[in-house]
Amino acid sequence: MSGTRTRRGTVSEQTRTARAAAVAEQLHHECTLLLELYRKKETFAEELTSGGDRLVTVPPLSSQLSPNDMLWRLYSALQQCRNLLEHAIGREEGVGNDRNRTEYESQKKTVRDRLGHLLESTRLLLADGAGTAAFTPDPNNTEIDGPVNGSPFALKLWIYRIFNELEHWTLAASKTLKALHPDGAAPKERRTRGRARGRRTRR
Amino acid sequence: MPSLFFCILLLGLGVTESQASGLAPPQQVRLDADKETQTLSVTWEDGHASTFDVEILRTELMEMVLNETVGVTEDQSTGKHQWNWTSPVPLECTSLSVKVRSRDGQDVSEWSSQQILPGLDLPDNTDSQMYPEGKTVPVGSNMTFCCIVEEGQQFGSLWYKDTLVKENMLSRRTYATTMTNQGPSNPSGTNVVCSNEKKMIIAGAVVFVGYPPLPSDLVCETHDLISVDCQWSKGRDTYLFGMTRQTYYTLNGRNCPKARNSNMRCGLEQWDGNWTLVARNLLGEFRLTDAAELGHRVRPVAPVNLTTPEVYSWNASVGWLWKDKGFERLSLICQVQRTSHLNSSTQTYTGYGLNTVVLKDLQPDEKYSVKVRCGSQKNFWKWGEWSLPLSFQTKMDRPVAPDIWLWMDSDNLGRVLWKPLTKSESHGQISGYEVILWSPEENSQQTLTLPRSVYSLPINVTDRGSKVTVTARNPAGVSLPANIVIPRYLPGKNGGKRVVIPRHLPDAEDTAISKVAFNGSGFPLSWVAHANASCGYVVDWYNTSCTQDCNVEWIKVAADNTNTMVQSGNFLAGVRYKFSLYACSSESTVLLERWHGYMQELVPSRTVPRLSPNQEGADVQLTWDQIPLEHQRGFILGYTVYLTNASHLTLLANITDPQLTNHTVRNLVLGSYKFTVKAYTAAGEDGGATVSISLEPYTYWLIMEILVALGTMTCLLIVITIACYRKRKWVKKAFYPEIPEPKLPGDWGITQGTLDVKPSPHSMVHIVEDSVWDSSKEALVTVPEEDEEGTGDEAADTDEPASLRYYNQVVEEGSSSQRRPHASDSSASSTGSMDSGHTDVTYTGIQTSACSLAPMAHFQPQPDASQCVGGGGYRPQMQSASCPEEPQTGPEEHLQPPVGSFGGYQPQCSWKQDSPEADGDGLDQTCLGSPTSVTSSQFLLPYDTSEEGKEYPSSASTWFHNLLTGKP
Repeated sequence: MSGTRTRRGTVSEQTRTARAAAVAEQLHHECTLLLELYRKKETFAEELTSGGDRLVTVPPLSSQLSPNDMLWRLYSALQQCRNLLEHAIGREEGVGNDRNRTEYESQKKTVRDRLGHLLESTRLLLADGAGTAAFTPDPNNTEIDGPVNGSPFALKLWIYRIFNELEHWTLAASKTLKALHPDGAAPKERRTRGRARGRRTRR
Repeated sequence: MPSLFFCILLLGLGVTESQASGLAPPQQVRLDADKETQTLSVTWEDGHASTFDVEILRTELMEMVLNETVGVTEDQSTGKHQWNWTSPVPLECTSLSVKVRSRDGQDVSEWSSQQILPGLDLPDNTDSQMYPEGKTVPVGSNMTFCCIVEEGQQFGSLWYKDTLVKENMLSRRTYATTMTNQGPSNPSGTNVVCSNEKKMIIAGAVVFVGYPPLPSDLVCETHDLISVDCQWSKGRDTYLFGMTRQTYYTLNGRNCPKARNSNMRCGLEQWDGNWTLVARNLLGEFRLTDAAELGHRVRPVAPVNLTTPEVYSWNASVGWLWKDKGFERLSLICQVQRTSHLNSSTQTYTGYGLNTVVLKDLQPDEKYSVKVRCGSQKNFWKWGEWSLPLSFQTKMDRPVAPDIWLWMDSDNLGRVLWKPLTKSESHGQISGYEVILWSPEENSQQTLTLPRSVYSLPINVTDRGSKVTVTARNPAGVSLPANIVIPRYLPGKNGGKRVVIPRHLPDAEDTAISKVAFNGSGFPLSWVAHANASCGYVVDWYNTSCTQDCNVEWIKVAADNTNTMVQSGNFLAGVRYKFSLYACSSESTVLLERWHGYMQELVPSRTVPRLSPNQEGADVQLTWDQIPLEHQRGFILGYTVYLTNASHLTLLANITDPQLTNHTVRNLVLGSYKFTVKAYTAAGEDGGATVSISLEPYTYWLIMEILVALGTMTCLLIVITIACYRKRKWVKKAFYPEIPEPKLPGDWGITQGTLDVKPSPHSMVHIVEDSVWDSSKEALVTVPEEDEEGTGDEAADTDEPASLRYYNQVVEEGSSSQRRPHASDSSASSTGSMDSGHTDVTYTGIQTSACSLAPMAHFQPQPDASQCVGGGGYRPQMQSASCPEEPQTGPEEHLQPPVGSFGGYQPQCSWKQDSPEADGDGLDQTCLGSPTSVTSSQFLLPYDTSEEGKEYPSSASTWFHNLLTGKP
């Protein structure tokens, strides 16, 4: 399919990639702010890290991958991020949300909306377009659904880790999409897409 | 192994002690832990004593936690002893070992077998943990938190919020910290975080620190005479949020789910008379009670369905319904608030089952909005809620009579003015005005109908005493007429804006005007009561600087008032208004008094016009004109005169008389000046008009001084001339004495006579420097021109000057070669002349008298005495006769030619030797006043004073000589 693309179509795709990169960069900035707002809200010391295993599980983004494979992995990671964020938003209300901290709430909503936008933009960049297949998280990773023992601190730490994952993957998305956009390198590598897709785990 | 050995050792010691006392040790010691409350319950049997020693240690480190003697009685039903202990450290933190022994005074039994309460730091619990987690405690509590580090990790630090706190090691994996006097948490609780050595969060706990509820002010009332509605205030913030920690309320045992946030109310369906509110959260509960009879707590709901059954111009009725029938049988008090565009007012009505009221004092053609609220008239508790508003409009009525005024623009031309009717006066939309001019003399009337937008009518007042009537019309009818009588107008010199000039104040417009100040709300005017003000007073005002079609406003004041406050929305800052007070009577209108004033004074809007300087000698008079009235914008209080120097102003004068429009700056020196004149009002100075002037010398004085100086000089010369003339003999003696006849030695064969000497035009005397002398000195040498060297023949000179006539005297031949060095050239020339019978003597520029020459001889190398003696040639200006008589002791002797050998000319000074006055006192005296030869034209007087010899000097010298001698 890519071989039949016109020059006009390629340009249009580059524009979409550039837009997606811009969205990712903006989202990364917003995720950084959200993480900072949460850290201040929960008075976590700056020098402490959240630790723990990664909540988002996708194979690493390697430079040897084709652009489409990189997009697929990125898309999968972002989709897991969105699921985690939705979980976090649903669970956080149970620990006594500070209604006065409107800035935090507003930022959380902004990130959620922007993340949906980025997911849609990334999906459109994928070769098969549908985006129905994505990497699924590790079924053995029980942390994805959050703490089950009712510990308020465990829930807070879990949300903290989710926001860290968001910050990490939006940065990765921004870098990857920026790398895919310039110099027309993407169409050349896109021809290897079929072979690379074979390694994917379809949902 | 070591612990086993330790246990055996303890058992051995216990056996030793028990053997001494005989008390049986407690049996079947059992530990039960309530980890939520951190309470440890210890039970045992077979202890017949009532006092026991309890020892608690941390099992792993064998640290003593408690060693206490407690009194515990046996539970008769179970035969067991139970003792509870609340641990300050969560029981999960580490394992505790407990043992008990009986005590009877000093006798103790053996220790019971040691029971261990296992902690969660045992190796089979590998995860990191922190305790207590999710606890809710009151503000000010002390709490100990412990962190159990995951197996294989190293402990890092403990943090309370974002503050690093000091830890205490409880076991190999457990570290604890104690926080005292904790403050309120934020809504999501206070975090206590445990990190490993890599500063990674490995565990944490949340503690919720807050207060128990403390509501207040429970009040219950009824709105419908059936149900009850209770309200209270929330009171102190609990700082506890969330489903499990928030405060819950119950009223008489029923939940109040709607009591959230700031909406603290709860309702019951029936009136109980007594109510109990319980507020409860995890930290405690609080109870409030209230009790009242139903009739005392009636707060009616708002009336509904407001209507206006009847609406008129000046009143209307308003009705409503009660949603609950009970109020129809209750004595009520109701408030009706009506609001129009004019104002808002509230009226109160009472009645049994009140549901209709009549509103009075309404304005015609006015929109009103009304709303109603009621309360129980008996045992009034509170006003009920306001009903929804109802709007209606009253009907129109005929307007009120217009307020009219007569304004004279000139003697015969005037305007009938009337004010537009306000909303409250028109009683409906005005459709127009009708003006009727009545002329009693002609017994006629003229009716004019004017549109509603016209508020004045020009009239030509020819009939004094005629009457003008104005009426307003609206759809409801015609207003009452407003009348004004055209006054008996005095033909006056003032053609301006006035109604009438009172007979007793013919020049009132110009003279009887005073200032009035604006006091923030208006111009306060007051006056003396006037007898003829039968129908009151009128005050009108207008912009003083207005010239045509001025906007005139007026107010009417009742006859019994002698003051008023003039207010208008049209007053502008910086505008002068003139206020006129008239007494109104049925016959005429009389001007009583006038004022003028500003609502706010401003600085003048322009500078003084026509500022000009005028020099008056050393003074400068500055003149200017008054600022036009419209530009004054305040009462001119005076002027300030500045000397402007660059941008700096120096105050010269402050003229406080505003009528004075000139100022003289005095005693200025010549130069350029720049003056600035500023007019000032109470608000300040204007920008200032500037004028420049350059002060010039006073010409007449200069000419006068020159003339005086010339006259003085002339007079002085005349006096000197007269004096000289009258004393001419003395002057002659002093300055021009008679030259005696030369006395020739020996016998002269040559007849004396004039010798025409033709001076060589080429022989000149030059001033040269003598290297022997001081270079600064000058010597006179005669430098013959080159051409002269070979031209001893005078005949070659054809264009010679006129021959000089010298007295031909004998000069020794040899003298020509004995010339003094400084006169060598001239002497040579002279000698040459002598030889040829011509003498070209051109002592050009020589102005050296014999006396002045003498000192020069000091510096000149002189020839020997023989030379001097032999020098009998031409010796101009050299002393001859007197020199030998001087006592010559120095080298100067060489300069003095011997008398006997001197037979040449004796210029100037030589004559004194023989003059009768010459007494030989000295050279100076002799030489003083001697005629001085400047050129060869100087007086070269021969000794012979014959008439023939006197004819030859130049004409100037002749004239002067004649003057001195008194000859014509």
